[in-house]
Amino acid sequence: MIPFLTYPLAMIALATVPALAAIYILRNRFRRKQVSSLVLWRFHVQSKSGGAKIHRLQLPLLFFLELLALLLLVTAATGPHWKLPQSARPLIVVLDDSFSMRAVDSGVSAQTRARDFLEKLFRQSPPPSTRLILAGTEPRSLGSIAKNWSEVNELLPQWKCWSPDASIDSAITLAAELGKQQANILVLTDHKPAGEKITNPRLEWHAFGEPLDNFAFVNASRTAFGDEDRCLLEIANFSGAARTTKLLIQTGTNAAQGSLVSLGARESQRLVFNIPTGTPLLRAELEADSLAEDNEIQLLPPIRKRVRVQVALTNENLSALANRTLDATGLRAAISEDPELVISDNDVIAGSNSWSLCWSTAGATNAYTGPFIVDTSHPLAEGVALEGVIWAGAEMTNAPGDIPVILAGNVPLLSAREDVAGRRHLTLNFNPELSTLQDTPDWPILFWNILKWRAAETPGLSDSNARLGTEVTLKTTGEPVTVIQPDGTKAVFPKTGGELALETPMPGIYSVAMGATTNQFSVNALTADESDLSACTTGQWGKWSEDTERRLEETSAVWVFGLLALGLLCAHLYLVAAGKGTR
Amino acid sequence: MRDELRQALRDGEHLGARYALQIPQVAASGWTGSRSGRRAGSSIDFQDYREYQPGDDLRFIDWGIYARTDRLTVKLFREEVVPHLDLVLDGSRSMNLEKSAKAGAAAQLAALLATAATNAQCTQAVWFSGEGFQRLANDTLTPSAWDKLELDSKRTPERSFEIMPPKFRRLAVRVFVSDLLWPGEPLQILRRLRDGAAALFVVQLLARDDATPPEHGNLRVVDSETGDESEIYIDSAIAKQYADNLAQLQQSWADACRQCGAQMTTIIAEDLENSLGELESIQLLAPA
Repeated sequence: MIPFLTYPLAMIALATVPALAAIYILRNRFRRKQVSSLVLWRFHVQSKSGGAKIHRLQLPLLFFLELLALLLLVTAATGPHWKLPQSARPLIVVLDDSFSMRAVDSGVSAQTRARDFLEKLFRQSPPPSTRLILAGTEPRSLGSIAKNWSEVNELLPQWKCWSPDASIDSAITLAAELGKQQANILVLTDHKPAGEKITNPRLEWHAFGEPLDNFAFVNASRTAFGDEDRCLLEIANFSGAARTTKLLIQTGTNAAQGSLVSLGARESQRLVFNIPTGTPLLRAELEADSLAEDNEIQLLPPIRKRVRVQVALTNENLSALANRTLDATGLRAAISEDPELVISDNDVIAGSNSWSLCWSTAGATNAYTGPFIVDTSHPLAEGVALEGVIWAGAEMTNAPGDIPVILAGNVPLLSAREDVAGRRHLTLNFNPELSTLQDTPDWPILFWNILKWRAAETPGLSDSNARLGTEVTLKTTGEPVTVIQPDGTKAVFPKTGGELALETPMPGIYSVAMGATTNQFSVNALTADESDLSACTTGQWGKWSEDTERRLEETSAVWVFGLLALGLLCAHLYLVAAGKGTR
Repeated sequence: MRDELRQALRDGEHLGARYALQIPQVAASGWTGSRSGRRAGSSIDFQDYREYQPGDDLRFIDWGIYARTDRLTVKLFREEVVPHLDLVLDGSRSMNLEKSAKAGAAAQLAALLATAATNAQCTQAVWFSGEGFQRLANDTLTPSAWDKLELDSKRTPERSFEIMPPKFRRLAVRVFVSDLLWPGEPLQILRRLRDGAAALFVVQLLARDDATPPEHGNLRVVDSETGDESEIYIDSAIAKQYADNLAQLQQSWADACRQCGAQMTTIIAEDLENSLGELESIQLLAPA
């Protein structure tokens, strides 16, 4: 049975078969014609008495020729293959996609040298078919099978070498699976294989790198630090000797400030400094060297998400304690209108967007000294130790739907639930008068976790600075999202639900437009392993074994069916021209 | 009567104005008229003498001869007669074949012959077959005044003869217009038509579809008279067989005509005006 839905051409062609039959049936329909007399038709007069007769459908030879030609075309459209003995093997090329391949020696990068080698290989002994696999952080097959160099050349622009890592082993495994152990595998990279000797007779490893000196940024961050932004830059010297480079730092539109950085062989240096909060973009640059991609970083201001909190506790002592703790976290917004979190004695719903913290002290007379059961995977419990803490609470069980986060035995002390609108409702079973929790670091940590969790659920980007290859999370409002990459590539996500993970395939400034708001985040190439070019080398490891056996390989048989159909159509033409076959 | 038939009669009348019916000498017999007959009559043209026989008109006794020879001798004068045309039309449905010019051509041909007969100072009677043979209404008038010409009989002319034969005038010129497409022995009807006639002409009028079998393909042929049907695949062999059957039928009629002393010709209805030469060649018509 041919899977026709897989082959729409075959389905269309097959649909013509009933059409052809219909044409012939209609053509063979008896046309009514009145004649003067049947006396001249006596040779064929049949009695109509006794009811109508069923006549055998009279089809000429042409019909069968056309039907056969159609069926051959249907078969051809399904792309039939058969096994034929082959001497040449298909080729699967594993391309190192990491950015170390961009390292330039004498003006030529390892990527360019590898590409030239591949072209030369195609000129000398072109394989019957070629498949390309990009070895980035994950191996990825490029397009369909290429038949010649021009088709390969069309695929190569996708080999951009921007990945922070090259999973060549995974790519080889994928190549072996795709090639069914029959294809030759060619690895094009800039370093030698992990093992000196390659035992796979179908694998050839070619490296086109050079051990080059390189200064690089290996870490960079910009975080909120009170009223300022704290910046960290880590510069490494991946050279065999002490070297000096020049560091230029520019903030916003201010003039760049330069300084010399001297580092010993394979040493690194961290620079930590503060800049005002309002500084738009910090740009740092090192002197040009063999790998330009790790010589520049751009840091955008950190995202300061603050939460509007309304404290609606009737107990003044509790209210004061809550306000004091919230202020200490630094995550509370100055205003409390349209609150995003409401802290109250009971479980009230303050707004469509508001979370609630129900802090009840009623009947909370049991003081628990532990052991406490903490769900450490929960965002509220991050960093909460509760060692030596006395926690007084009411003896109760959790309400239906509530997920306990902290328990004392079977008594929930802190629990959370989510309603149908996606809002979170937290229940704090805590009486500070009989407890010591509010005097321990766990207390501000707990509130910091609450506000941090709430802030993380507000729409917008999770980070403003990211490393190359990592994902940046975007909390969406349901509106269409447009992402413009540094090279101008635009990606539109018409409908997004909740959260969108944005890929960072290249360094630079990304622009994210959601609804009326537009935000930016910066991606920097910060990978020490890729910046370290000392292990790069040139050479060949492994060699494809000579083919001695004859292998049977799937070969397209479309041309055979096409030729047969053509022959039939020629015969059809001859019969039509000769006036034969109509009967 | 259908308008197209009436128009065909008018066209035939117009066409017949150029022709006159050729009257054979044997047909010079009939009612007293303006044309010289082959017998003695009462015209002023002297023909011969003969001995008086009882019953002869005493006015024609030549008294001078009686005075000289004492024998009663009468003078004979050439008879003046009006020759007659009996036009016999096949009134069966096959003469009204759908999608053909056959009915119109039959009417046109009848009108033409009648007009040619008038031009030849002949009287005419038009008979058409149906439930027996009947005179066409107003057939003694000009063709455009004819009426009730309906070609819708299920009977063949042969069958109509058996039901009620026409009352032909003796020594009249008879013209039989038909497609002759019915099974049977031609000689039988031809003898009846020829009996007492001065001359008999048979004009086979065929539609082009009758003469030429249709193109290749499947056909359900329906007999226009009986309604019988037959499904046939037409190919070159069948077409040839059809042509052979037609030729055989025509040959049988031609042989029968030869036996009876009749003249026969075939005319294609769609090509009537160009086929009038055929009627001249069998000496039925002559230019007026």
